[in-house]
Amino acid sequence: MLKDLLLIFIGAVLVNNFVLSRFLGICPFLGVSKKVDVALSMGIATTFVLTLSAAATWLIQSFILEPYGLSRFLQYVSFVLVIASLVQMIEMFIKKTSPNLYNSLGIFLPLITTNCAILGLALLSVNKSYNLAQSIVFGVGAGIGFTLAIVIMAGIREEIEKADIPEGLKGAGITLLTAGILSISFLGFSGLISM
Amino acid sequence: MGKSVKLIVALAIISLLSGGVLASVYSFTSPKMEEVALQNQQNSIFEVLPGIESYREFKNDENMIIFEGLDSRGDIAGLAYVAEGAGFQGKIRLMVGLDLDSKKINGYKVLEHQETPGLGARIDEEAFKQQFSEKSLTDSFKLKEDVTAVTGATISSKAITDLMKKSVDEVIKIYGGGK
Amino acid sequence: MRAWKELIKGLWSENPVFRMLMGMCPTLAVTNAAVNGLAMGLATAFVLICSNIIVSLVKRLIPEEIRIPGYIIIIATFVTIADLILAAYFPDIQKVLGLFIPLIVVNCIILGRAEGFASKNNVLYSALDAIGMGIGFTWALTLLGIIREILGMGSIFGIPVMGAGFTEWVIFVLPPGAFITLGILLWIINSISKNKTVEGDCCH
Repeated sequence: MLKDLLLIFIGAVLVNNFVLSRFLGICPFLGVSKKVDVALSMGIATTFVLTLSAAATWLIQSFILEPYGLSRFLQYVSFVLVIASLVQMIEMFIKKTSPNLYNSLGIFLPLITTNCAILGLALLSVNKSYNLAQSIVFGVGAGIGFTLAIVIMAGIREEIEKADIPEGLKGAGITLLTAGILSISFLGFSGLISM
Repeated sequence: MGKSVKLIVALAIISLLSGGVLASVYSFTSPKMEEVALQNQQNSIFEVLPGIESYREFKNDENMIIFEGLDSRGDIAGLAYVAEGAGFQGKIRLMVGLDLDSKKINGYKVLEHQETPGLGARIDEEAFKQQFSEKSLTDSFKLKEDVTAVTGATISSKAITDLMKKSVDEVIKIYGGGK
Repeated sequence: MRAWKELIKGLWSENPVFRMLMGMCPTLAVTNAAVNGLAMGLATAFVLICSNIIVSLVKRLIPEEIRIPGYIIIIATFVTIADLILAAYFPDIQKVLGLFIPLIVVNCIILGRAEGFASKNNVLYSALDAIGMGIGFTWALTLLGIIREILGMGSIFGIPVMGAGFTEWVIFVLPPGAFITLGILLWIINSISKNKTVEGDCCH
């Protein structure tokens, strides 16, 4: 059981990295990867939301959607509503309890609602028939993988800023090419675990 | 407080409308989806058991979906069953055909998968599927041993190989040792 | 005239993929073959057009505070409808696009146009805006798909075009290829056009 969870975790972080391999979470990956500290904050906030929404959507699927046969046509609407509400509640909670935390992480929260990694994770967990523990570990792994990718990218971009980039490549262009190379390096992890 | 209630009511109305619309679209499309599923099942059974005229379900306690293929004389000409397992992106379902006389696999048809388009999805292509035709039921079913993976889709390929091994063993057990 | 302007801006000057960098997830994920890119583009266009029209129709009815959740419900409803219709009448496409059909719900383009345009304009302009953006998205994805398919599989829409001696550059149908192809395309487009890419709001 523990080995199983460990495999899911490593799988999500390295082997099938959510950003570099599954293409989930690309928008913030391209947009919020300019500075390492900002990227780290975004990564942490996203991991937090991923983990909570993994649990929340699993509960909805198991106790409401499946028993009443509503899954096939109400799944997307209910999942995305749960995610949006969850993010809203987290934002309000952080705002009230820790203004400092809110200033560093909270501002990213509204953005995270439309991060396809969140909804993607929820749907993948259901497709793989993960139980609650597996879904949560999957969520944590996905978040850490996302954070890893976005922080590495930020580190590289901070350095690239100093270089002489062709006009047409500035901004998204060079980021994408860099992501391509990062993705190639992560491909090297594919044989890592025998699932 | 009154404002919050008004907002919640408004959201509830929108949700109910959405739910209503979706339920009706679903009721409208689900017969068609079932029809497509049944047609697919038929097609896939006939595809993995060439030469049969009809088939019937073989009920068993393990809830494994097994069909006996019957030839024109009504004799059992092969076995088809549904194998289900986890792939890279989601569930993989296969219809596998077995030749009972020669104790070999006829081949398989992918019923359902969510593998990456152009990569893992190539487990549905002839080049990969061919490797399983004429395979003996007692082969080892391991990547790099008797199966070559699809380039760039090791996990999907392994998923199929493992699924084949596991399901073949299971079917042999359920359908009756010795047959 | 204004109607024409609203329609064509999505095709090039405000192209969602190349100019506004929105909807990146499906752009990279399902363009490993031309037909996948085309199908995804059309499915997204369908949802975009329907949701823009409905949002524009009900914009006064939805209270300000819950407009985002409200729009999300509307969008998710159309995505589900698209999914069900595809599953019933085009099951092969539905199987291929898989996970990325529901992800249309969180495609920045749709919520972006709903909030940024349809909620402030009448039905006609909202529809035209959506049609333009939809076509713009579709041609961008199809182009990306064609390039990746030619280099990575030697074919276009499944028809082999590269001849027998061609060794496929498989990397192009793998994740790195998506990033690299889009990066180079952006480079080319930014170089030939006078306006630069403007990153859409949802990416910041």
